[in-house]
Amino acid sequence: MEQQIGLWVGAFLTMGIISFLYKDNPWYKLTEAIFVGISAGYWFVALFWDNIVGKFWIGVFDRGDYYLLVGAVLGLLMLMRLAPKIGWISRWPLSFVVGAISGFYLLNYFSSNVMLQVQSTIMPLFSPQFNDPLFTSSAGNIISNLFIAGGTFTGLVYFFFSKEHKGAFGGAAKIGIWVIMITFGASFGYTVMSRMSLLIGRMYFIFGEWLNLIG
Amino acid sequence: MLKQILVYALILALSLIGYFVITEPIILGPTASMVIIILIALVLLYILVRTIMGSFVGRRTVFTFVAIAVILPFFMTVDQPIKVSPEVQQLYDAVMALRPGSKVLVSFDYDPPSAPELQPMAESFFALCIERDLKIIIMGLWPQGPQQADLAMQTILREEAFAGKSWKYGTDYVNLGFQSGNEFVIQRMGGEIGSMFHNDFYGTPYDSLPLVRNIKNFSNIDFSFNLSAGYPGSVEWVQVAVDRYGLKMGAGNTAVQAPQMYPYLRAGQLTGLLGGLNGAAEFEKVTGRKAKGTRFMVSQSFSHVVVIAFIIIGNAAFFLGEKRRKKPEGETS
Amino acid sequence: MRNSRVKVNGLFFVLISVFFYSGLSAEEPLIPNPEDTTKICIPRPPTNVLATDAVYDKGNVVNLNWVPSPDDNGDGKILQYQILRRLENDSVFALIDSVIAGTAFYKDETVESGQTYQYMVVAICDGGSGPSEPSPPVTPDMEWLNFALSNIFVIGLLICGSVIYFIGKAKSGRPLFIRKIAGLEAVDEAIGRATEMGRPILYVPGIQDMDDVQTIAGLTILGRVARVVADYDTKIKVPVSRSLVMTASRETLKAAYMAAGRPDAFNENMAQYITDEQFGYVAAVDGMIIRERPATTFFLGAFFAESLILAETGNSIGAIQIGGTANPAQLPFFVAACDFTLIGEELFAASAYLSGEPRQLGSLKGQDVGKALAMIAIVLGAITTTIGQAWNFEFISAIADLLNSLFRTN
Repeated sequence: MEQQIGLWVGAFLTMGIISFLYKDNPWYKLTEAIFVGISAGYWFVALFWDNIVGKFWIGVFDRGDYYLLVGAVLGLLMLMRLAPKIGWISRWPLSFVVGAISGFYLLNYFSSNVMLQVQSTIMPLFSPQFNDPLFTSSAGNIISNLFIAGGTFTGLVYFFFSKEHKGAFGGAAKIGIWVIMITFGASFGYTVMSRMSLLIGRMYFIFGEWLNLIG
Repeated sequence: MLKQILVYALILALSLIGYFVITEPIILGPTASMVIIILIALVLLYILVRTIMGSFVGRRTVFTFVAIAVILPFFMTVDQPIKVSPEVQQLYDAVMALRPGSKVLVSFDYDPPSAPELQPMAESFFALCIERDLKIIIMGLWPQGPQQADLAMQTILREEAFAGKSWKYGTDYVNLGFQSGNEFVIQRMGGEIGSMFHNDFYGTPYDSLPLVRNIKNFSNIDFSFNLSAGYPGSVEWVQVAVDRYGLKMGAGNTAVQAPQMYPYLRAGQLTGLLGGLNGAAEFEKVTGRKAKGTRFMVSQSFSHVVVIAFIIIGNAAFFLGEKRRKKPEGETS
Repeated sequence: MRNSRVKVNGLFFVLISVFFYSGLSAEEPLIPNPEDTTKICIPRPPTNVLATDAVYDKGNVVNLNWVPSPDDNGDGKILQYQILRRLENDSVFALIDSVIAGTAFYKDETVESGQTYQYMVVAICDGGSGPSEPSPPVTPDMEWLNFALSNIFVIGLLICGSVIYFIGKAKSGRPLFIRKIAGLEAVDEAIGRATEMGRPILYVPGIQDMDDVQTIAGLTILGRVARVVADYDTKIKVPVSRSLVMTASRETLKAAYMAAGRPDAFNENMAQYITDEQFGYVAAVDGMIIRERPATTFFLGAFFAESLILAETGNSIGAIQIGGTANPAQLPFFVAACDFTLIGEELFAASAYLSGEPRQLGSLKGQDVGKALAMIAIVLGAITTTIGQAWNFEFISAIADLLNSLFRTN
C-alpha cells in the first residue's frame, strides 16, 4: 500500500513538472515549491548527519581525532559572518579553503589536463605507433590524427589573449573556433540523447511502473 | 480558471482509467507498429510542407511529437540493431581479463535524476562482475549514490540467472556508503581507504568486513568503475586515483558528460567508457544481458528521428523567414 | 591475523611451511608424504622472489615481484599466493596477505622505514603449498624529493613564474594588452535595453560555491554589471544556489551601488538563496523567468545540466541573453540559446578585462605563456615524431623523445 501511495505521489509530481511545457500553472507551482523545499531540507539533513555528526562528533569524541577540532574552529570562524562587526574574521577560514583547494587543483589539472594531454598529442601523424613506417595508418586514422593535432593547436590559438586575431594568426583562430563549434555540435547531440533518456525514464515510470501498461 | 480545473479533472480521470480499468499491458504487433511509424512519418512530412508554404508550427507541437516518439515504442514490438563501439568493448575486455576473486571498486557518483542513463549500466556491470566472480566494493561521492547501488544489486540478485549464486554481503560485495569531501575523499583513499570509511552503509565497522579489511588503498584494487553524472565524478577520479595512484579505471557517464571524457580515453587515462543510454545498451549487448538499456534505446532512436525531422523543419522555417525579411516591404505575403 | 579468508587446509600448510623455513622442523620434514601426492596437490614454488624499496616514497612501501609457479597456468590448480614476511633478525616468517593466482606482484605498504625485511611467497593449491626461497633482504627508505617529476616542476615554475612576473608588471601600472572579447561589448547594450523596457535583469552566477574560480569570475562581472544597473536605476535579481555565494553577491552588489553613489537603492533581497539542489534551483529560477519576464539575463559562472533549461526558458520569453562558462559540456547550449557567449577562458579574460585587477590580468598573461609552450610542443612534437620515426633521423628523434619526456607525468 505504501509503495502504491508513493507511486501515485511520484506520478502526479512528475506530471506537475511536465505540465510546465504547456504553460505555467498552479500544479507546476505546487510541484516546484515541494521540490525546492524538500531538496533544501534534504541537503540540510544530509550535510548535518554526514559532516557535523558523522565526521566531527564521532571523529572527535569516539575516535579521538582531535585534529578535526582545527577544522571545527575554522568552521566556527566562518560563522562570524553573521556578526557584522567581526565579519572580517570569516575571511581567514575562507582563505585557508581557497589556498588549500587551489594547491590541490593546480597539480591535478596541470598534470592530468595539461601535461598528459599535450604528451598524447605529440604523436606520429601518419603511422599508428612510434617506430612504425610512414603511411602505415589507415586513411581514417591519418585524418583523425591531423584533426586532433591541428584542432588542439588552433583551439589554443583562439584562446590566446595576448595577440589580436589578425592575419595568419587570425586565420588559425578562425579554424580554432570552427573546431570548437564542431565539438559543441557533437556535445549538443550527446546532450539531446541525455535529455531524451531522462524523459524516457520518467515516461517508463508513468506507463510502466505506475500504470503497469507496458508488457 | 474553470478551464484549468477541467483539464486537471481530465488528467485525473485518465490516470484512474489507466490504473484501474486497463489492467492488461498494451502490446502492439509488428504490423500495427509499422503502420504507426508510417503515419508519424507522413504527419512530419506534412508539417515540413506546411512550413515551406509559410505556416509554422508552435513549440507545443514539437513537445507532443517528442512525447509520442518516446512513449509509443514502449508498446511496440520493434527490435533495434546495436553496434558495440571500441570504448565499450575496451571496458568489457578489461573486466573479462580480471581473474576470479579480483577486487573491483565501483563508485556511484549520481542521484535518482540521472538513474535512467546510469542505472542500466550499474546493473549490467554488477551482473558481469557476479558472473565472473569478481568481488565488488561499492562507495559513493554523491549522497544518494550508495542507495542507487543497493537498488541495482538487489535487482541483479533477484534475477533468475543469479539465483544459484550464493552472493554474500561482506565477503563477495560491500557497500561502504557515501562520504562527503569530493576529490579529497579520493585523495585520502589513495593513502588509506579505511580512513575515509570507518563504517559501511549499514554501520558495520570497516575492519569487520572480511572483503575489505585487508584492503589498504588503491594498490589492493584490481579495477575500478565509476558511474558519474557530474561533479564530483569521473574527471576527479581520473585526476587523482588514476593519474596519481595508478588505479586502472573505466567509466560510465551521462551523455552530457561523456564528450568531456574522450580526451582521457584517448590519452589512456581511462580504460573504456560507456556514454549515456547508448553506452548502456551497447554494454548490455556485449555482455549478452538484454535489459532496460536495450529496451529504452528504441524510444531513444525514435525521439532522435523526430528531433532530426524538427531540426530540418526548423531550419526550413528559419531560412524562409530570413528570405521574407530580405524582401522589400509590401511584398511579404 | 590480518587475513581470515584463508582456507583452513591452506592455513595448515602455510603453518607447515613457516615451521619448515623457520628451522625448527629441520629434522622432521612436515611436508606431506610423497606417497600421498596422488591425492594431495603439491605445487611447484614461485621463483626469483625479489623485494625492492619503492623509489620516491615515505619509506613505507616495498615492491615484491616473483615468477609465478609453473603450475599457475590459469587452470585453477593454484588458488592463491600467500605473502610471508619477517624482520631480518626474526627467525619466523609471518603471513601478511594473500593475492589471487596469476599475480606476480605485491606492494607491501605496511613496512617501516629503516627496518630490514625478507619475504617469501607461497603458492597454495587445494590441500598443498609450494613455498619459495626467501628473498634477499630489503631496507625501505624515504626520499625527500620526487625527482621523477622534475619536468612538472620546471614547466610549472616557468608558468607560475610568468604569472608572477606579469602580475608585477600589471601592478607597476604598465599596460597589458588583452584582445577584444566580443560578448563584453554587448553588456552595456543589454542593460540599456532592460532599462528602456522597464523590466528587471536576472543575473545567475552559476551553481557552484565560492571555491570555484568560475563563480568568482561571475561575481567580478556582476560587480561591473551592477554598477551600470545602479547608474540606470534598473532592477536586478541574483538568485543563487549556495549560501556563501549569496553573501558574496550581496557584498558585490553593495560595493557596486556605493561606487555608483547610490547606496540607498541597494537592497539585500536583490541576491537570494534558493536551494543547493541543482534541479530544485532550476525549477525556481525557471519560474522566476516566466513570472517576472526579465528583459536581460546573464548566466556567467559554473553551469551543469541546468544550462540549457535556463537559457531555453530565457530565450522563450525573448530576453537578451549573455552566457558564459568554462564547463565545455555546457557551452554548446549557451552558444545555441544565448545572444552572446563567453567561451571557456573568455569568461576569466572578461573578468580580468573588466576589473583591470593586476592579479587577474597577470594570471591571464602568464597562462598565455603556458599556452604558447603547449602550441610549440604540439607542432614541434608532431613534426619531429613523424619525420624522425619515419626516416630514422636520430637527431630529430632525440628532439621528439625529449619533448615527450618533458610532458610525461609518471
